[in-house]
Amino acid sequence: MGVNLAALAHKTWRTIASIQSGVVLLILVVILSAVGTIVLQRPATDPDEMQSAYSPQALRIMDAVGLTDVFHAWWFLGLMLLVSLCIVAASIDRFPNSWRYFSRPYKYPDASFRRALHPQKSLAIADEESGLVAAERALHSLGFKPERVVREDHFAIFAERHRISELAVYIVHASLLLIFFGTIVDGLWGWRGTLNLNEGQTSNMVELRDGSTRTLPFAIRCDAAGQENYQDGTPKKWWSKLAVVEAGRDVKKKEIVVNDPLLYSGVRFYQSSYGPNGKIDKLALVATPSNGSGQKQEIGLALNDSVSLDADTTVRFAEFFPDYAIRDGQVYKKSNYLENPAAHLVVTSKSARKDFDVWFPPLDEVADNSKAPYQLHATDLKMGHFTGLQVSHEPGQWGVWSGVVLIGIGLAFVFYVVHMRFWAVPVCDPKTGKYSLWIGGTANRNRDAFEQRFNHLVELVEEELKTVPPASRSGQVVTVAGN
Amino acid sequence: MARAKVEQQQPATGMTLIVMVGLAIAFLLFMAFLNVVKSGNLLSETNLLFATLVFYSGAGALYLGFGVTGTGSYVKFASLATWLGLLANTAAIAHRWYESGHAPFSSVYEMLLSFVWTLAVLTLVAEKKYGVKVIGTVTMPVAIVGVVLMQLLRTEVHPLVPALQSTWLHVHVTLAMLAYAACALSFALAMMFLIQDHLQTDTVLAVTSASTLAIYASVVLTRFEKWGGLSLVAWDPERKAEVFLSKGVRLFVTIPDLGWLMMLTLLVVASPLVFYGLARWKGNPGFLTLANRAVFLSILLQVMTLIVFIVRARDGRYPSLDAEGLFPTTLAASPFILSGLVGGVFISLLYLLLLWRRPDLERLLPSADALDRITYKTVCLAFPLLTLMIASGAYWANQTWGSYWSWDPKETWAAITWLVYAGYLHMRITRGWRGRRAAYFAILGFAVVMFTFFGVTYLLPGLHAYA
Repeated sequence: MGVNLAALAHKTWRTIASIQSGVVLLILVVILSAVGTIVLQRPATDPDEMQSAYSPQALRIMDAVGLTDVFHAWWFLGLMLLVSLCIVAASIDRFPNSWRYFSRPYKYPDASFRRALHPQKSLAIADEESGLVAAERALHSLGFKPERVVREDHFAIFAERHRISELAVYIVHASLLLIFFGTIVDGLWGWRGTLNLNEGQTSNMVELRDGSTRTLPFAIRCDAAGQENYQDGTPKKWWSKLAVVEAGRDVKKKEIVVNDPLLYSGVRFYQSSYGPNGKIDKLALVATPSNGSGQKQEIGLALNDSVSLDADTTVRFAEFFPDYAIRDGQVYKKSNYLENPAAHLVVTSKSARKDFDVWFPPLDEVADNSKAPYQLHATDLKMGHFTGLQVSHEPGQWGVWSGVVLIGIGLAFVFYVVHMRFWAVPVCDPKTGKYSLWIGGTANRNRDAFEQRFNHLVELVEEELKTVPPASRSGQVVTVAGN
Repeated sequence: MARAKVEQQQPATGMTLIVMVGLAIAFLLFMAFLNVVKSGNLLSETNLLFATLVFYSGAGALYLGFGVTGTGSYVKFASLATWLGLLANTAAIAHRWYESGHAPFSSVYEMLLSFVWTLAVLTLVAEKKYGVKVIGTVTMPVAIVGVVLMQLLRTEVHPLVPALQSTWLHVHVTLAMLAYAACALSFALAMMFLIQDHLQTDTVLAVTSASTLAIYASVVLTRFEKWGGLSLVAWDPERKAEVFLSKGVRLFVTIPDLGWLMMLTLLVVASPLVFYGLARWKGNPGFLTLANRAVFLSILLQVMTLIVFIVRARDGRYPSLDAEGLFPTTLAASPFILSGLVGGVFISLLYLLLLWRRPDLERLLPSADALDRITYKTVCLAFPLLTLMIASGAYWANQTWGSYWSWDPKETWAAITWLVYAGYLHMRITRGWRGRRAAYFAILGFAVVMFTFFGVTYLLPGLHAYA
């Protein structure tokens, strides 16, 4: 039984580590991501829009299986975990081989390797030593550091460059895992939300993506906010002057713009929008007594302010609608945009003990402006603005960015750093007793460019052979061989 | 009919084509000169774009001539024309950059400008460095389509909305353009590999016919209206923008009778595929001859449809099914249909080139082995660029929207592109995929790139809406 379990575990391991399962998983990720871009996704899409796009049954089914929020569905996360597992398993499976290759370079090519290797070349030499010296000099002149390898009674020259390239693919895979790790940390402990502040307002309540509220241990105050426009009226710049308030005092101040957030204790505040908050800042009015006797008065009112016009009469700014609509004699707010504003004022006469409703613009179906003891005319309207902030806490992003840097380095090594190796072995033909120098080389990528390099090396060796005096070092060969 | 055409297509002798193209370029430049004299402004962007178009067209014609006749001197003149076009293209970019004060990467128009530029540079690199001389036959027509599309899209300088005011925009978009152009090159090389790899000419016939059929079928299925009309998006010439009935709902106008023409072309375009199927089923090669004639007929009809489409959709006011009255439309409102129609003519012509001049093409192209290796090398160039493009985009998004990855459709499709090429590299390195399968993979990769570039912008909603 135990053996069976071991066999099963081994089989599972082989399946996970195989390139086939990797490709199947990649195809699945591709298909599901594509689906996620075609099916409308919550919460980015309005619920109304979702309902008009799909039938109720279809929507119910899609919600149930997570098709309306593919990228946060449990099965998508599971798939990403499987992909990570697959990368880990494949790397572990292949790493020992690469590591052996890396840590114990193959320095002395045996006869069968010499037969099979391409490119290779044999040059006639006078004796072993002159061949070895010529090869060493040629490799030196190409910037290599050749080493002499002694195997029993044979010699060889070995030189290589950029051995690290063999391990580069593991750097890429490790950095992918690092990126995944960072996003998982963010998924578990990170959060994202919005915070809308009116000018002068302080708040520490962030509304999160899922509709809940998160209370920060410090508060943010918006001192000022604004928008600059291009000449054609499209927005050029949004800015907000923010202050961080902790324990009652300002600990940090910064003017933020789009692309330049405020960072405080791991929480980032981004400028994301700016606009009217639908609240009125000040309404300017001119009041004239209805009976014709008395002075015109100019008054300015904020919402809920009241001002006395004379000893008997006061006016109060009761309601404001930036964009109004009337239904059944009632006034409703249609939107927060200053499209179609309406103001509701109440003029109170103490002596008559009566309140008169006054509307701007005059709304005859709601109230009759002319009955009031003062005739009012609105002259100007100043609106309040809010600044829209995106708030995010992403503790895992350092993993992501270091992964990104590493993947860049890793890919540069994978594609552009070539591990190349050269060998030179003096070979004695047993029949004729003549020596020849066997030169071979290999590169792990870009083999046609390597072949040119190899041919260049062979030419260099040929030139060196002409200059090395054949007999001069023969004594040395004997002593080295004697060791 | 096709036979007769074949006989006329004897290798043009010597300088005929060069002289013809030279005369055409001279004529067009003369017309442009008259225009300049009238407007008194030589270095306007329109003129520069026009010069770009003229030179690229000349280069395209000469490359095609080289593909057909194999006359070596054509390539020299084609390179020269490409160089001149590149010069004008660079000037157009510089002009726009100077005028707008930001690098030209913020709208589809500006990105096309950069894309065409990169494509021309890479064509010259592939030609000079790797000796792939015929590559202009494929890339130059793509560049021409790009410039024609640019003429149609709006060209006023738009100020940058706040989210786009970042150095990372330039880094991100430059990387994207480089990566996409490298992908386009690997696609062209993979196609050439397939020719060198003795892909059956009739297989190409089936693929060509199926692609053109897909183009016309998607037009007819989505735009055919009752009484044989063709609905197109209405265009507001004052604002130079599409007309919206409400948020996300475009106003469509219906051009009468154009739908019938599309339907007829659809049938003719489908006929080569039918004949091909019959030939395979009955084993009778006679049907293939019929199929080739049908391709020739379909090209004539496609050109006619294209001309009628351009004439009728260029301007004029047409009724709408959704609103009372007549509304104007323009070619810029239907960039997809237009590029689809042009693309259909173009791939059919390429098929004819292959049908008539296959031995010459095979003689001119590098060996299949070399093409396979160069394709792999371009993907090796494209993949790190794609990676860096996604990384820089993520960093920028983190600066702007407070999140480095938000599964926006463009992001997701960029990731899908990356995964497809990652799959290609894995299959090639660990499984030793060479040749056909690798070439198909490279073609698939470029199809995904095209969808990411155009499809996502126009078909799927998202944060990248302005580009």
